[in-house]
Order: sequence, then structure tokens, then C-alpha cells
Amino acid sequence: MNPSTLTRHRWPLVAGAGALVIYALFFASSYDQRILTLSGIYVIMVLGYQFIFGHAGALSLAQGAFFGVGAYVTGILASKFGTGFVLTFPLSVAGASMLALIVAVPVLRLASHYFALATLALSQLLLLIAVNWEAVTGGANGLPGVPPISIGDWQATRGLPLLLFVWGLAVVAMLIARWQLRPARVAAFTVMRDTPLAVPAFGIDPGLLRLRAFLLSAAFGGAAGALFVHTNRVVSPETLGFGVMITCLTMTVVGGRFGILGAVIGALLLTHLPEWFRGLDEYYLVAVGVLLLAMVVFAPDGLASFFKFSGSTHTPISTPAQPGSTEYAPPVASGRPVLEASNMSRRYGGVQALDGVDLALGAGEIVGLIGPNGAGKTTLANIITGIARADTGNIRSAGLDLARATPTAIARHGVARTFQTPQLPDGLTVREAVETAAANAGDTANVRGAATAAEAIATCDLSDIADTRCGTLPHGLRRRVEIARALAGGPHLLVLDEPAAGLAPEEQAEIAQILRTLAGSGLAILVIDHNLEFLQPLATRLACLDAGRLIADGPRDDVLANDAVQAAYFGLVMPTSTSGVSA
Amino acid sequence: MLGAQLALNAVALGAAYALVAIGFVLVLNATTAVNFAHGESVVAGGFAAVALTGALAMLLPAGNAIPGIVLLPGVLLLTALLGLAIAALAYLPIRNRPPVSVFVTTIAFGIIVTNGLNAAFGAAPRAAPALLGTGTIEFLGVTASRQSLAIIATAVVLIGALAFVLQRTQLGRQFRACAQDPEMARALGIRLTRITLLAFALGTAFAGAAGLLLAHQFFVTPSDGAGLILKAYIAVVIGGWGSLRGATIGAMLIAFFEVGVASISSQPLAEGLLYVAVLLVLLVRPDGIFGEPQRLRA
Repeated sequence: MNPSTLTRHRWPLVAGAGALVIYALFFASSYDQRILTLSGIYVIMVLGYQFIFGHAGALSLAQGAFFGVGAYVTGILASKFGTGFVLTFPLSVAGASMLALIVAVPVLRLASHYFALATLALSQLLLLIAVNWEAVTGGANGLPGVPPISIGDWQATRGLPLLLFVWGLAVVAMLIARWQLRPARVAAFTVMRDTPLAVPAFGIDPGLLRLRAFLLSAAFGGAAGALFVHTNRVVSPETLGFGVMITCLTMTVVGGRFGILGAVIGALLLTHLPEWFRGLDEYYLVAVGVLLLAMVVFAPDGLASFFKFSGSTHTPISTPAQPGSTEYAPPVASGRPVLEASNMSRRYGGVQALDGVDLALGAGEIVGLIGPNGAGKTTLANIITGIARADTGNIRSAGLDLARATPTAIARHGVARTFQTPQLPDGLTVREAVETAAANAGDTANVRGAATAAEAIATCDLSDIADTRCGTLPHGLRRRVEIARALAGGPHLLVLDEPAAGLAPEEQAEIAQILRTLAGSGLAILVIDHNLEFLQPLATRLACLDAGRLIADGPRDDVLANDAVQAAYFGLVMPTSTSGVSA
Repeated sequence: MLGAQLALNAVALGAAYALVAIGFVLVLNATTAVNFAHGESVVAGGFAAVALTGALAMLLPAGNAIPGIVLLPGVLLLTALLGLAIAALAYLPIRNRPPVSVFVTTIAFGIIVTNGLNAAFGAAPRAAPALLGTGTIEFLGVTASRQSLAIIATAVVLIGALAFVLQRTQLGRQFRACAQDPEMARALGIRLTRITLLAFALGTAFAGAAGLLLAHQFFVTPSDGAGLILKAYIAVVIGGWGSLRGATIGAMLIAFFEVGVASISSQPLAEGLLYVAVLLVLLVRPDGIFGEPQRLRA
């Protein structure tokens, strides 16, 4: 599912919210009010968890730990030192965030199950500390005597005042979540979940994005923990237990991974279910497990997804798009090459994928990189874009040392690429995908935000399908969207990995026409392909790799006439060929 | 000879952990799924032993102690059925979804097992009978606990049987084929679903057997699952993702670490340091100590 805002048919939700407010104010018993207060606390926790579990798509099992840290910071300070809410609450938020920042170094780089288990280890560690460090935490019994929330002379006494205060903070949390999740960032998160390989190509810094999500989840979790302790008036290891984590996960899955509505539905439902299912007694938690399992299998987007009636809410950009008006001139003195690579070597185990390759590209030049399968073509593309590292050699583009920069920094610097298998986020429309690349392009001289994106779409002749989701596009169009994405970053060098593969002749001709136009406005283009029917009329220069070595580089016709190329490429004379890694 | 006794205890603990870790790897290899309910399967094995003891005690005349080893077939059978349930309900319906979905459904299954056991048996620790009686025997000048020796012997027999099946039988070859390349295995006519079900049944039964072995000396409580899945996972990360031999070595290392640290300080400290060690290992080697085979390509 793709998160999108609600536009119409809001009235059932407004009516529901109104009924809830009336119930809370006039009909709820003090016990009901306590349950509603807890719901508000969990809304805050779930809103935080949505950042990391929903948007970043990572299963964190540390949300309970952050909740517990917030709870213990407030609990210890308030019960032992009588510190007031005005100080303990920010400290709880800060404490949980600090913990997240510290563990982010070992934990955030981890993917998938490594991340889940590392965060579980963190939670178990904190639980052990809370139970065993009795002098500070009160051990298994915890610390009683936490005072109610008081600010100045005002006190949030149990019942309606506390309920309203907690929900007030929940609304603040919602506003923060909305502010953090502006459309461009939501799109960046979608790219990160859908196409992890292409994240650098969009100019997105995945580390920063994940860190933001993790810190926000921790801050919200810490805030919820602090409020929980004031509601319960006691802090105990239960606040750090796996039970809290499971409650949070269940609420998020049942309500929805994205959006305020999901958090509210999940929190309200899971806090009230025990009341509605009292008959189940101790088997209630078994039922929660069954519910969690069933939701993932049958309604993975949560209950909130049933309330979505809206279509795409995108407002079209008013700037009229002029195809090809952008100049892709590199920020270097004219006459100097856009790409300079010398003596590039790379070995994979026993295979020498690249062996002392020199290559240079100038502005406006289209160079075809040819060679049989396993010659090292894709390895070279990966080294240029920073996905792989060369063992030796120098490689620079317009002042940037590509051997040291991260893939994201290289993309933002203006070295764009497309992939052998197009890597596009299924959930985003063409326009959203291209705009995401433009929004994350950094300070490349050529980028003017959404206008550049619109232009890239026009240049690649995609205007008619700009609002179609990438996931529904046929292969030929996906290739063009990839080129548009690459252009959105305002590049001066474009590396295309087999752009013609799997395309019909007329589709190939369209791509060739687009590339010619781009080269005309100053873009340097490196096309990796072995389809000579596509390359021959397009490239001004050809370079030929064989078994990792550059065996020819020069004007197209000279290279094609070269004996070594004939031997390696057309197999006219069978040379002693070595196998390399697949291209 | 305190050192030798400690070493024997550590080997026994490691043997039990090895069963847990091997069970985890069996499922992992056949399906690439990380089964978060695996810790709860160990707990379920412990409680299966407790329940079977209770049932047998009613059949036998009073005063007869039941050796734990006779419970082993029953425990294996019950937990194998549990494994089939995990596969059928938490894995097969969503096997084509992102891995995180399977993490969540198996966590959900763990919640069901934990709380079901909690409701049925209560939260207090329970003990299973010793495998072949308690006490010690003199062995090569070392006073060895009978239970430790019995744990080691049982684990060796189970692991040996598994190794035989995997290495020498047609079924084992199919297992290994699925582990190496599920697409190809399927193209060659191996019935992937059947292998998946078998892997979950076998893997969970191994966890269950470990539950029986651990539940005498260390007791069993419904909430033990999280700690146990972590240890199995750590063993697998140390030993190399997907390697049965590595998982065994990893399990031994964890056991020696725990017994060693606990002998000079306390059990909670040993456990806490283990978790710190995991975080440090992952800091240095984000893909585990021996790395994970990469199947992604641009």
C-alpha cells in the first residue's frame, strides 16, 4: 500500500471522532477514562513505531525498550528526586533518543533479520539491567510513588484532566508526524522499501533516512513511556518487557503501518479489546496472537486501509515543461574530460574482472562500451557509480574522487545511471519517482527542483503516463522512466547499463533519439550494450572490453575493424578466452 | 577437577543449544525464512515433557520415577506437529511477501504458544525429569553429572541421525538442493511445499528435544522464548548463516561463554554480556562473522 492523504468521504471519520469525544467527556466512567488515557499514550508510541516499521520498512523490536527507557527516566527522577514533569518529560524523550543514537552505529546498518534480532538483544539487555540493578531501578518490584503530572500550580489529576492532557500531547505527536512526513520524504521512504538497489540512483541517503526514522520512533516511544508512568504511578520492569513491544507491534499491524488514522484505530482497539473479551480470561493474549497473525495474512495494510477512499492527490505542476532545454554541461573547464579513469583493476576471488582499464569521456560524447558476457562491463559501471570499489586505479568526475565517494554522493554530484533490470518503486507514479530523484539531487548546478523533473519527463516522452504507477508499466516504458529519473538529478555523466535489452526495434530507436538529444545539450553518455545494431548508429566512439582488459578504444569504425575486437566480439578467430564474471 | 566439570557442563549446555540452532538452520535453509517462533518451540518442548510426565505418572504405580529419555519420542512428535502448524499458518500463506511479514507472523505464533502455555501451566518455572536419573558418576577420574552426559549422548544421537539423513538419503539431497537453489529445485520436480513442511517439522522437533534436555536443570517458563531464539540466532550468526556445522560450533562457543562468565560472576551478567557481544560482533561484521551469500544483483 502506498500512504496517501484522505481527501473526500471524511464524514464517517469525523462522526466517529465526534462520538468518541462525546463519550469521553460525558459518558465514560473513571475506569473508561483510564483506558482512553492509555489509548492516547499508545497512539504516541504507535505513531513513532510507524516511522521505522512502516515507512523505513524495518522490523524494530526495540520500541518497547525506548518506551521502557522513557518510563524509567521519569520514574527514577520523579520518585527518588521529586523532579517535576517539565524536566522529566523532555529528559525521557532525550534519554530514549540518546539510546537510539548510540545503538544506531552498530544496529542501523543491519538489514532485515539482523536488525530485528539486534534490536531484540538490546531490549533483553535493558530488561536484565532493570531487573538486576536494584539500587537504581528497584529491581523486579520497580519504584512506586511516581507523582501525577504537574506544571506550575496545575495538576493533571486522574480522570478527565489527565485524559485531555495525554490526548493533547497525542495531537502534538500527530502534527510532528505530519510535518516529518512531507510527500517528498514519504516518496523517499517508498523508494527505500521498494527498490533498495536504486536508492543511491535517486540521490537518497539511506543511512540518514533510517536514522531519522529510528530516532523519531525512539523519541515518541520515550514520550509514551513517560506518560505511562505518570498514569500508573509506578515504574516496573513490565514497561521494558516484550509485552509492550508486542502490544505496539499488534496495534500497528491491526491499525495500519502508515498514517494517523491507523495509529488511532490500532491503539483504541487494542486497549479496549481486553474489556470486550473479558470472558477469555488468561487466553486473551492467545487471541491477540491469533489477531496479529490473521491481520498479516488477510489484511496486511491494517484496518485503516478500509477507510481510504481517495485516489492520487497529486497536484500537477504548473510549470510548462520544455523538453531538452536543460544544459547538461559539467561544472568543469570545457575541454577537460567529464570522466577520467586510469588503471582500474578489480578482482573477484579468482576472476580478474577489470585489469588496468583506462577510460575518458568528454561532454556531449556518446561512448559505447562493448564486449562479450563477462568482459567486466557492469563491473566498470558499478565502479563509476560507487556500488563497487576498484582495487587499484584513479577515477574522477568533475572534481570528485569516485573511488572514495558513496554511491549517493556520486549520484548527487551528477553521475547518473540506469540498471540492467529497471529499478523503479512499484508504489510511486512516474512523476513521483522522477520528482523524488529531483528533490534529492543535492546541489547539482543543473537542478531546479520540480521543473527539472517535469522537463525530464517531457524529454523522455512520458508526459501521457506521468500519473501511472511504475509497477504497472511495461518493460519498454520502465527503461525510459529510468532515464527520466537519471536526468532529474541534472547529471553531467549518464551511465546506461544495457538500455536496449529486451526492447523492440522501434522502442530502441526512441531511446536512441532521446540519447542523441541529450548528448546535443552537453551530457556525456556511456552506453553499455552488446547490441551493435543499437550502438553503431548512436555511439561516436566505441570501447571494447575483453576479460577485464580494454582491447580497443577509438572512433567507431576503427574499433569495429580492429582484429582483437573481431576476435573477441564476433569470434571470427577463436582466441584463448578466459571466463570472467557475468556482465 | 572443577575445570573439567565446568567444561562438561558447558558441552552439555552447548549440545542442547546446538539442537536449537540446527533446528533454526534447517528451516532457514529450506525456506530462507527466519522463524521467530523457534524459541517458543523450545519452551513448548519443555512443557510437552512436563505434560507427558504428568500423564505417565497417572498410568504408572505411584513412586516410580520416569526417566526423561522415554519422553523423547513423544516430545519430538508433539513439537513436530507444532512445526507443521507454524509452517501451515504462519509461513505458507505469505511465503511470497517481504520477509518482514514472516517475521511478524512467526512472532504472532510465538505469542500464541507463550500465552497458551501460560494459561495452561501458569507462569511459574516447571522442571522436566532427568534423562537417566540424577547424581554423578566417576568417569576417567572426573566426577561427571549423569544428566550432562545424557544430554550430550542424546544430542549426539539426534545430530548424527540428521547428518545421516542429509548426507546419505534421497530426501537429504532434496533438502540440500532446496537450500542451495529453491527455484532450480522446483524446476527439477522437487515438491517445495513438502520439503518446507518437513523442514519446519524437523526443525521444530529439534528445538522441542532441546526443550526436554534443558528443562530439568534450568527449568522452563512460558516466557523463556525470546532469550532462546536470541541464543540460537547468535550461534547461527557466529557459525555462518546456513551452516549446520557452524551452528553447532557457535552453540558451543555461547555455552562456554555463559558457563565461564557465570562461574566467576552471575547468570544475568553472563547473559547480559552475551547480548553486548552480539551487538559488538554485528558492529564489526554486519553480515555475521562469515557473511551471508548475496543473491541481489543490479
